[in-house]
Parts: sequence; structure tokens; C-alpha cells
Amino acid sequence: MLSKVFATIAVVITGGILLYGVSDFPGFGDPHSPANAGVPGQASISQYFITESYGDTKVPNIVTSVLADYRGYDTMFETVVIFAAGMAIFAILRVVGDDSERKPRRKQESSFTNGDHSRIIIGTTCRLLVPVIQLFALYVIAHGHHSPGGGFQGGVILAASFIIIALAENLNSALKRLSETNYLKIACIGILIYAGFGVMCQVLESDFLDYGVLQPILMTDGPEMARSHSMLGVEIGVAFTVTAIMFAIYANLSSRGLLRDGL
Amino acid sequence: MIVTIISVIFILLGLLFFLGAAVGLIRFPDFYTRTHAAGKGDTLSSLLVILGFAVYQLKDFHGFSHDWPILLVILKLLAVSLFIFLTSPSSTHALMDAGWEDKVEPEIGKGRPNHLNDDCGKF
Repeated sequence: MLSKVFATIAVVITGGILLYGVSDFPGFGDPHSPANAGVPGQASISQYFITESYGDTKVPNIVTSVLADYRGYDTMFETVVIFAAGMAIFAILRVVGDDSERKPRRKQESSFTNGDHSRIIIGTTCRLLVPVIQLFALYVIAHGHHSPGGGFQGGVILAASFIIIALAENLNSALKRLSETNYLKIACIGILIYAGFGVMCQVLESDFLDYGVLQPILMTDGPEMARSHSMLGVEIGVAFTVTAIMFAIYANLSSRGLLRDGL
Repeated sequence: MIVTIISVIFILLGLLFFLGAAVGLIRFPDFYTRTHAAGKGDTLSSLLVILGFAVYQLKDFHGFSHDWPILLVILKLLAVSLFIFLTSPSSTHALMDAGWEDKVEPEIGKGRPNHLNDDCGKF
């Protein structure tokens, strides 16, 4: 009870500070705000993105070019936040080496359609849909430059396909396809890919995540195309981490950290 | 012109079935019949509306050499309708199955035959 009182006080104070901070913001869509009108003597930043981002990066989707290039440092730590959330879930929920607490509720089925006849419809539907969903997820990841999408969205769709397998059959058959060691590895590899692009730029004597200098390695026509291709690489890294962590969160939450049976 | 009329007819039919699904969702007596109305009506009406969109795309179609991107749009719309055709009924089925496993009692009117204790009713 007392902890709830303290939690409420903390929430009210934090919310009050945040609301107080909001009052300093310019109005929504205000044409005279610094972001839209610029400071005296300089063009505004949004004007710059709209007019120059295609020439800088050869990426038609301005959102992606801002997200993965102009503020790539921020996006890298957004990915790290997701990674940290997954690690927190892992640290809090995961129970290791306790087999006695719960017996498996169902006999493990070897395929989607075996066993319980009422699962045939759902199993068959999922077996038909999962490849399509995964293909679409890869499209969303790879096409983030040209249409809405990118690493975060595609990663979530890819993770959803594994969650559907876990829902349609049981958690074990999803874990057979993406095991715990593998998803933890994939989550780390994703961030390493992202940070690796940044460090590579530093190795080539430029700033962290300044993709233009990667042109000799990527063998592109110019620094602009190098930036475009590096964005794709970075998005793939994001997708790795998001896929692994989303599935890890589902697996741990649905089985109370035992990674058995699931829902 | 005729293409527009056909597509409008499709879309209006779809909206009619949407109305039926919505009325059924509110007016039917128990969980199973309501889910039935939502599942059946939703699937058919979404299919009809998307088919109407697909037919409407044919409005600007004059020949394969110039207008093949329109066929691509139609293909995508048909893929969406196929997806709905697969997912919507099976999600309704999953919902009903979950309700049945959770022992939600169907409402049976007076004088109606009760098959709940027959062989087919057991699981």
C-alpha cells in the first residue's frame, strides 16, 4: 500500500515536470517555430531536409534518411534501449534449471496439424501464412528507403511470425526454430552491425556513423550511394535486434520465464 | 462508366453486409452467434469492398503496353483479399474454439433440440 503511495507521488511529480516542459514547446505546426522558420540568418532544418536530403543520400523517403543518417546516433541508442528492455525482461523473468515446478500441460506435438483435431484449421492457416508474413517482413526491412517501413517495423513483423507459430502450436516449436541462444546472439549481432558501421567510418578517419567515407568499401558510384547502402545495412542491424528481443519478451512473458508450454 | 457502376455496386453490397454484421453483433443473443455474425459478415463485406476497388482500378486501363502498373495494383488488392479470406474466418474459429474450451454456454431457445450432450458436442 505504502509503495503504491510512493509510486503515485513519483508518477505525479514526473508527469508534472514533463507537462511543464511541454509548455515551452512551440505550437503544433507553428510556422514561426525555429524548426520550421529557422533562426535569423539561417535556413530552417526541416526546409533543409525536404530540399537537400535526396541529393545528400539518394534516399527518397525523408523519414528514413533522417532516422538512419542525420540522427543515426540517436537511432542506434533507440536500438540499445530495445536491447536493454529485452535484457531486463530476461533478468527479471527467466528461471534457469527449475524443472520440477511445472509439468508440461500438453503432450508435445510434432507438427502443426498432429494431435488435437480442433487445431487443424488454425495450424494449417498459420503454416500457410507464416512464410508470407516473413517475406513481407523482409520486404518492409529492405524497402525502408522507398516506402514506409524499415528495421523497427520489419523486425516486429518478423517477430510476429514466430509468435504466431508459438500461439498456433506451442512455445517449444517456435523455440525449435529460434532458440534462446540464437535469439540472444541475434540481438547482440544486430547492435554490433549498427555500431560496426559507425566504427568502420572512424577507422576510415571520419566521424562516427558518417557513412559517406564507406564508398571505397561498398564500391558505390559516390558517397551518396554509400550513405544509402549503409542505411540499409543499419536497418538490417536494427531488424535483427528488434526481431530477437520481441520474440524473447513474448517467450519469457508467456511462459513465466520457464520457456516451456507457453500459453 | 460501366466499370464505375459495377465497382459502386460491389462496394455498396459490401457496406450492406457490413451493416448486417454490425446489427448481428449487437442483436444476437449469445457469444457464438455474435462471433458468427462478425466473422461471416466481416469477411464477405471486406472481400466485396476490395473487389470493388479492384474493379474501379480498371477504369483507366486501355492496353497492356502502357497500363500494366494498374494490373499490379489489382494483383495487390486481390492478394489483400486472399489474406483476409484466409485470416478472418480462422481467427473467428480460434475465438469460438477458445470460448468452447472455456465452457461458454450457448443460449438455446425453448423447444429447440439440444445437441450439447451428443457425441459431436464432446471434445
